[in-house]
Amino acid sequence: MTRAWQCWLALAAAALAGCNDGGGNFDTRSQIGPNPKLPAPHQYLIPPIHIATVIGWAPGEHPIAPPGLNVQALAGDLQHPRNLMVLPNGDILVVESQGPNLDPVTRPKSPIIGWIESLATKGSGGGGPSNRVTLLRDANGDGVPESRSVLLDHLFSPFGIVFADNYLYVAATDAILRYPFTPGQTRITARPTRLTELPGGPIDHHWTKSLALSPDGKLLYATVGSNSNIVENGFEAEHGRAAVWEVDRESGRARLFATGLRNPNAPNFYPGTNTLWVVVNERDELGPNLVPDYLTSVRDGGFYGWPYSYYGRHLDPRVMPQRPGLVARAIVPDYALSSHVAPLGLTFYTASNLPAQYRGGAFIGEHGSWDRNEFNGYKVVFVPFAIGRPSGIAQDFLTGFLDGKGSTRGRPVGVAVDRAGALLVADDVGNVVWRVSRAG
Amino acid sequence: MMAKSAKISGDRPRSTAALFGHPIHPMLVPFPIACFIGALLTDITYARSANIMWANFSIWLITAGLVMAALAATAGLTDYFGDARIRRAPPALPHMLINITVVVIELFNAFVHSRDGWTSVVPTGLTLSIVSVLLLAVSGWLGGSLVFKYGVGTPP
Repeated sequence: MTRAWQCWLALAAAALAGCNDGGGNFDTRSQIGPNPKLPAPHQYLIPPIHIATVIGWAPGEHPIAPPGLNVQALAGDLQHPRNLMVLPNGDILVVESQGPNLDPVTRPKSPIIGWIESLATKGSGGGGPSNRVTLLRDANGDGVPESRSVLLDHLFSPFGIVFADNYLYVAATDAILRYPFTPGQTRITARPTRLTELPGGPIDHHWTKSLALSPDGKLLYATVGSNSNIVENGFEAEHGRAAVWEVDRESGRARLFATGLRNPNAPNFYPGTNTLWVVVNERDELGPNLVPDYLTSVRDGGFYGWPYSYYGRHLDPRVMPQRPGLVARAIVPDYALSSHVAPLGLTFYTASNLPAQYRGGAFIGEHGSWDRNEFNGYKVVFVPFAIGRPSGIAQDFLTGFLDGKGSTRGRPVGVAVDRAGALLVADDVGNVVWRVSRAG
Repeated sequence: MMAKSAKISGDRPRSTAALFGHPIHPMLVPFPIACFIGALLTDITYARSANIMWANFSIWLITAGLVMAALAATAGLTDYFGDARIRRAPPALPHMLINITVVVIELFNAFVHSRDGWTSVVPTGLTLSIVSVLLLAVSGWLGGSLVFKYGVGTPP
């Protein structure tokens, strides 16, 4: 009888020895830039889930910008502001949005993940009406809007927004909507045209559809994120997803412009070029330092790996069947931003309010990590560019979101530049739009 | 035959967790057994098809199996500690230890199966499912011995 106990204890000890978590000391800065260090994949038994609790901003608190710059709240009391756009007349459009929550419970894991994601957005606008576009008018450019109005509401999880030729294009999670619109208007009552259907439900895991206008103004570029982390909802669910779509602005005719981009967001043409750039959220559950999220230029017809591979030809062991022919032509992204920082906002700076060193570079809103023990992201970074390419290490630009005690006051998402040249940052759980401008 | 009836005759080990004289443990054990065998079958089907639906079936079966195994274990442990004659029956301790091992393995298996995609099953998840089912065959046999050889929970 004691032998039976001994055997059992020996077995149990052997099993426990087999499960430690990895991670350890890793310099996350080695994953910033064109050649990120990629550790071996580590598949968890219990994935770390570590999300900053939202405590909001106390009166007088604000994020921290480099010396010589002033940070002020352009608008507060918003309802989950996620994306920003500045009209030619200087009016600022704030897209306030909530996810559609269409993810079905497919596994016991689903409700657990759902609960954690609800923590992420907790405190985001005490249940007020979101899914709308708020217009802020700051005609004198002092960072204090003189008026505020709801331009559009009752939208279906909107995110992308573009203005061209007296039309406002809004990407709801299931379609690009086109509204007749003249800058100066503070309310749109016209019914939209559904220009192009986009992959929405069922599931609609990555739901943010962002938009860009081509330099010639004829085409729209819409980003469509994957319907899963790594095709765990089946390949059928991924039709038309993990891609950038090119849409004809007149007819709505669409084609896939680039694919294999897991969750691309914030498409932007580099000023003065025909090169489209996006920021991409890479896959989870391969370790705290895999896979780095990235900023990349997007080539017509390009394939960027998802789901089969990452950073070129690094195969993902979780995908079956594999597609070696496709992986062979997977493009290595241009610039890694470090793992799980969750970049959702991108804008190139061409104005002159901020110091000259920022001109021509990229501001990136990093929403922040949820699946690694050490927080990563939760800030706005600046990536310098030279001759239209990233030219140096990313610098912290707007920090102070995290309180250093496991909580966060806000999380940055969309970024834009206002008419005066100040940087605007949507903070979707702080429910604020921040404005960063030269002091004095 | 003689030895068997000798053991079973006379004072029968009594089931403490019983309902109107029916031991609860044998009423509950078919659930985890069927669930874990079912999960092995859906694992094999997933490994052969790569159709994610089968992997989803597996994790639901393992989860349901664990819930029912917890209930079965509660009844089983109550019986084990409720009557010293059960503890003295030679198959009782290995039966309990093997079953607890299966639960621990299936708990690991539930975490492995909660990964995303192919590696939620192949190779670790499938291996754990095979090992569990093999162990269940042994502990099931021992459990049968407890009843049919040692008369645990049977009427005098």
